[in-house]
Amino acid sequence: MTTAQSSVFGRPFGAGRSVRPGFWYVAPAVFILILIGLLPIFWSIWVSLLNLTGSNRDGTFIGLRNYARIFSDEKLGWSLVRTLMIMAVALPIQLVLGMLLALHFQAEKPLKKLFVTLLVLPAVISPMVAGSMWRLMFDHKFGPVNQIISFFTEKPVVLLWTIRGDLPFWSIIITEVWQWTPFMFIILMAAISNVDRDQMNAAAIDGARPHQIFRHVVLPAIWPVLIIALLIRGLDLFRIFDSVWQLTRGGPGNRTETISVFMYIRGFQGFDTSYIAAVVVVLAVVLSAIVMLAVRRVGLDR
Amino acid sequence: MIKRTKGILAPLALASGIVLSLGLPVQAQTEDAATKAIEAAKQFSGTTITVVAEAGLQALLDKQITAAEWEAQTGIKVNVVELPFEEIYPKQLLEHQAGTGAYDTLLISPAYLADMVANGMVEDLGPYVEKYGVAAEDADINPAFADWQFYDGTRYGLVVDGDVLVTYYRKDLFADPANQEAFRAKYGYDLAPPADYGQFGDIACFLTEKYAPDLYGAGVINTGYMFFMFGERFRVAGGRFFDAETMKATVNSDIGVQVLTQMIEQNKCMAPGIETWGFAENLSALNAGQIGMTISWPPLGRWAQGVNINDAALSWVPATTVADKIGYAVNPGGHPELAAGFLSGVSVNSKNKDAAYLYAQWMHSKTQSLQNVMRPVGLRDPYRMSHYTSPEYQELWASAPEYLAVLQEGAANGLADFSWIETFRYQDAMSRAVLDAISGADPKESLDGLVAEWDGMTEEIGVDRQRAAYQAWAAKPSAYRE
Repeated sequence: MTTAQSSVFGRPFGAGRSVRPGFWYVAPAVFILILIGLLPIFWSIWVSLLNLTGSNRDGTFIGLRNYARIFSDEKLGWSLVRTLMIMAVALPIQLVLGMLLALHFQAEKPLKKLFVTLLVLPAVISPMVAGSMWRLMFDHKFGPVNQIISFFTEKPVVLLWTIRGDLPFWSIIITEVWQWTPFMFIILMAAISNVDRDQMNAAAIDGARPHQIFRHVVLPAIWPVLIIALLIRGLDLFRIFDSVWQLTRGGPGNRTETISVFMYIRGFQGFDTSYIAAVVVVLAVVLSAIVMLAVRRVGLDR
Repeated sequence: MIKRTKGILAPLALASGIVLSLGLPVQAQTEDAATKAIEAAKQFSGTTITVVAEAGLQALLDKQITAAEWEAQTGIKVNVVELPFEEIYPKQLLEHQAGTGAYDTLLISPAYLADMVANGMVEDLGPYVEKYGVAAEDADINPAFADWQFYDGTRYGLVVDGDVLVTYYRKDLFADPANQEAFRAKYGYDLAPPADYGQFGDIACFLTEKYAPDLYGAGVINTGYMFFMFGERFRVAGGRFFDAETMKATVNSDIGVQVLTQMIEQNKCMAPGIETWGFAENLSALNAGQIGMTISWPPLGRWAQGVNINDAALSWVPATTVADKIGYAVNPGGHPELAAGFLSGVSVNSKNKDAAYLYAQWMHSKTQSLQNVMRPVGLRDPYRMSHYTSPEYQELWASAPEYLAVLQEGAANGLADFSWIETFRYQDAMSRAVLDAISGADPKESLDGLVAEWDGMTEEIGVDRQRAAYQAWAAKPSAYRE
């Protein structure tokens, strides 16, 4: 027994109880966290068991019927596929470009600070604003994108970026890559700058080529940070809304409707509240499981 | 005796008639709905009401002009909340569901009135109408818009904006003898405002062939509000949204496919990128003299004429190059969509219901509404008989009487926006399907997809419930003009 554990009341705080004293110290913070973090989830679970819609405000209890609807909802399925396609294309591009930039800016260069600042700028802009800006950029008549293409092709080119064929998908990819590559860049630049230079120099002296140094020295050293950056960006891309909404509103038709756009339209404009609550619960469970698996797989939980 | 009595009563009746006929205008002047609203509102001086307005120009009317005037006359402060068109109904419903009482005077697009009533969002205005005496001016409302204010026999709103789509065309191009001759030779009928949508396409192609790329035959709105554009053309062609018995959607009928295919084909005779045009692009092209014809909302007629366009809030509107060259016509087929329009209502959650109502009554009143519909900002369009015949309005520009006559005729024969349970979801699905086809998808496949979506919605809502709501709407003469 240590005197430090005695309270001013003459006995150790919590003495004689089965709960350790530390519990009481953290209890208020944990309670607040539960209130903030878990209450909305419990509330969503409860709402998902009701039948709250835009024309049924009574919200009768219908059990798991909303969950059953999820598995027969083709529109939801397609929005999930589109979201995953955006992730599958945008995430590797952001990673590769971010890595190249990070490696490029490891060496001291003239005006390095200025260029790094400029490169990071897109990431500090509100995604809604970035989406609006790119919508103007892609304007078929006044937008600089078509004008630049017309300049190089030496004839007027009218590409309907937000309407025609696969262009809406690529306009979203371009916007996302433009805005969030800097995030990858800054995280990776910080990680690479912390790699032990002695190891890199030793490898170089041993005759390793730059790509071998990167593969066998740099990559293992930054691996945990890289995984975290991929996780963060991956989750962000899974929730992609702002740029899609500004550029295409999920259209034309439903061709760029991602999972978040689907939920917004269905839940907040169509007021299919309980069904969307069920979708939210399922997604929260699935995403949490994926994140936990990924964290465990790379040993970040140790 | 009877004869004698008659002999005495006759002069008395005559005298009474003279007194009444002299006295009535005085009474009407002193007790018009605007004055009544102001006088009654003074008892609520010092309070604040929150009024919902459509973001942009609609809201500017309240923010720049009427809020200050109302406060000066009544002492009631007006807090204006702006919401984009597609957010007006959902936001108001969200606030209602949360029970915040954030809004006092609601903005109601008639298509959503059924939903707002079903959700218990709007106050029955019957007692207020009786208490504050607005009914005396009801006969002045264009019947097409008067109908908007009621649901199931109960009045929930007061009209404050009467929309109807209008055809605008270049009079100089249409009257040009060379164009007249060449058009007749090619199509076998006179070049004139299109009588149907087939003619609309003919004229668009004819003018484009002759004048492009300086000018294209027509401009249309292809992004946003496609349920208005397609909805009008579909019904004008004889289409029905549902089978009234089974409640299966029928928008993918042969008529639907033909109409959508025709819209897509006609786009080919329009400016490159027409598929992305919205209201602003269309307006810009008309004012810049780059299109020979278009269909849009009433403010275009005023702005193309350059009437009161110098307001700072309208600095984004391109200066008109076609003033005095614009003619007005009722849309092809003679039954234009009464696209949107607005009512003012009172939130059941309002803590200042009377004050909220009185602001709505004042804005809706004969005298105040005339000022509102003439202002360049505000986007409020005529909805009273006295608006169409107002000498003040008719003198705003040379062809204003023609413009007002077209608005009046269009409204009288107009098609009401479709309205049943959860209208927003049906509208959104239709807009997406139409834009899908316009951007390259097969029209039949797009409409088949729309039908599948609509049928799914109807199943979720309940076929019997939706049938009752649909049949109530379809029974209106303005739903399907036979």
